[in-house]
Amino acid sequence: MREITLSQAVNEAIAEEMRRDPTVFLMGEDVAEAGTPFKVLSGLVEEFGTDRVLDTPISEPGFVGMAVGAAMTGARPIVDLMFGDFIYLVMDQLCNQAAKQHYMSGGKLTVPMVLRTNMGATRRSAAQHSQSLQALVAHIPGVKVAMPSSAYEAKGLMKTAIRDNNPVVIFEDKLMYQDKAPVPEEEYLIPFGEANVKREGSDITFIATSSMVQVAEKAAETLAAEGISAEVIDPRTIVPLDEATLLASVKKTSRAIVIDEGHQSYGVTAEIASRLNEKAFYHLDAPVLRMGAMDVPVPFSPALEDITVPTPEGVAANARKLCAGEMIYAA
Amino acid sequence: MPHDVTMPQLGMAQDAGKIVAWLKAPGDAVAKGDALFEVETDKATMEVEAQAAGYLTGVVASEGDDVPVGQVIARISETAKDDTPAPATPPTPEPASDALPEGKQITMPQLGMAQDSGQMVGWLVELGAQVGPDDLLFEVETDKATMEVPAGARGYLAATLAQAGEDVAVGAPVAILTAEAPANPVARSADDAAKAQALAPAQPEPEAAPAKPAEAPKPAPKALLAEGGRILASPKARRLALEQGLDLSRLVKAGHPQPYHVSDLEVLRAMPEGQTPSTGTAQASRRLTARVKRPELEAFLNWAQGQGVDDTDAALAGLLGQGHVQTLAIERIGHARSFAILRRLSQVAVTEDMPELILRDLRGSFVQNVELGAEDIPVLTLLPKGKGLTLVLECAPEQLSAEAAIALLNTVAGRLEQPLRHLL
Repeated sequence: MREITLSQAVNEAIAEEMRRDPTVFLMGEDVAEAGTPFKVLSGLVEEFGTDRVLDTPISEPGFVGMAVGAAMTGARPIVDLMFGDFIYLVMDQLCNQAAKQHYMSGGKLTVPMVLRTNMGATRRSAAQHSQSLQALVAHIPGVKVAMPSSAYEAKGLMKTAIRDNNPVVIFEDKLMYQDKAPVPEEEYLIPFGEANVKREGSDITFIATSSMVQVAEKAAETLAAEGISAEVIDPRTIVPLDEATLLASVKKTSRAIVIDEGHQSYGVTAEIASRLNEKAFYHLDAPVLRMGAMDVPVPFSPALEDITVPTPEGVAANARKLCAGEMIYAA
Repeated sequence: MPHDVTMPQLGMAQDAGKIVAWLKAPGDAVAKGDALFEVETDKATMEVEAQAAGYLTGVVASEGDDVPVGQVIARISETAKDDTPAPATPPTPEPASDALPEGKQITMPQLGMAQDSGQMVGWLVELGAQVGPDDLLFEVETDKATMEVPAGARGYLAATLAQAGEDVAVGAPVAILTAEAPANPVARSADDAAKAQALAPAQPEPEAAPAKPAEAPKPAPKALLAEGGRILASPKARRLALEQGLDLSRLVKAGHPQPYHVSDLEVLRAMPEGQTPSTGTAQASRRLTARVKRPELEAFLNWAQGQGVDDTDAALAGLLGQGHVQTLAIERIGHARSFAILRRLSQVAVTEDMPELILRDLRGSFVQNVELGAEDIPVLTLLPKGKGLTLVLECAPEQLSAEAAIALLNTVAGRLEQPLRHLL
């Protein structure tokens, strides 16, 4: 199978859906000629023109608000938010407006809008351009949240998001845009709420999102050499969450570490760990561990930044302890 | 306690300071915060305040002296007459013959953002030669470039700690510059340097305050059996044990360390049914000690005799067992007798019944301490301790709760200290 980058996969998904459905359009800062700072959308304005690939002024609340209105009145906007950190600016448009219209109109209105944005530290972009804020959005009922872990997921999830009648936020890890993965030429969609078992194992389950899937896979590789068999599961969407697959795995292995690049406290890892605890308690042979980013603003110093996020070594070290029955926290 | 006055570090790169003037004379009374002396660095002149109140004594640095940062130069004492001089130099261990000279360490610089080591290409200065701060000292190769590194300070190249071709971690020392021309310049490889560092004696620790007599540290108990008999086990281990009719408390009694996981159930399954292995491990036992400084046993035994109780063991058993147990055995080296404890001392008599408590009387022995672990029934051992006694109570957790064990030992110790008071 051909291999393409995550960036190309997103571009293809959007182009295919824009060709298929004339109501789909793109808007955001620097999306047209510039093709975004990460060059993900390059070439789209040439094919679809500036009527369907709209450069907006630098006002996130303004253009996200416009997209919500466009979605409510029949269009299917894809809004580009240059950095995930700017989510703070559009909280009202996204969480108060887009997320609640369907409910508050008694089902008469829908907001088929995709907000594509990014996440991920270790790009030396400092505290205001390195955050992974998926937990903020996932907390709000009415918004779906997808977190692709490779080019394959990026394309399939984007196409599903565009066809979904609800607001969907897609967080792409900005460090993975150039990562290649096999992506079929033929069309495919990845349904929301279906986790992907990336690697089967019997001793411990790693539930990892986005680029943390790679971290978990590396840790699993290391542990395999030591005789510890780790299962790696990528939920692919955290809202909706495929609980059934996660619970089945944890009931099989009796141990789990949940890994996500958002801050650990009150985060995605906390939510998933808590569900495992509630629903698989009598199958647990070790406490479910969370591994998120440290609860500090992402440092600019490269040496510091690198240790604030989960690493394969850290995941493997915790897994060894859990599998050996060692207590990570004292009784 | 006298307070040492040291040369402060006033700037990041400062390693010595010159004493411009003493603002107090030896013997002067000094209040905390008083300006004590004036110091000049390459950047500024500053007054240094006293950090404690007292009298300035033991002044060993004179005006005009250059003193290394951290060195003790005087003392603030409680009296004006403390004339022990402050140590002229910080107490450093005597360097061994091949020890490194003392001086400014030059480290492997970080030349790129992602660089974590550099390869020593070669030294540009001969060992022992004098260098200025801008003189190029050595050449380093990283994955990106080769660069010459200046000495950064004036001095003599007294030691090189890496040879050409060796990789040295960023921040690790590669050379030492001394102020004086070195008598025996040292050349080492990075390997040696690393080894030497590993073997180097630890810095002498400040003497521990003589607060408590050193007690032998007890090994941390591995099996943490929480009060109330709560067993630490994973939810899955607990569920499987329940489903399979396995009793986790048998693992506790066997001294198997908690918390229990599914793998520990195999140990439990392998244990023969109905038979609990010896409880003699320290992990599953309680051990409490008490001290009685002036036991008044003689007076008590005389009194008991007056009451018609001639058997001193019976008297002792009655004294210590009453209110606690129905039967108590008194063991001495070579013999043992059990007594039935009744309310009146005169009714205490030898019995064939199994005792509930053993009083192991080792007062006349040379045994100083016991740690025998729990036995089939709780054991209270009496040991000689000067003119007094040490009491050791040993039992298994299921024999006596912590509370009951403490209460028993405490009461028994009280009765030994004042037996007549208990009886009256």
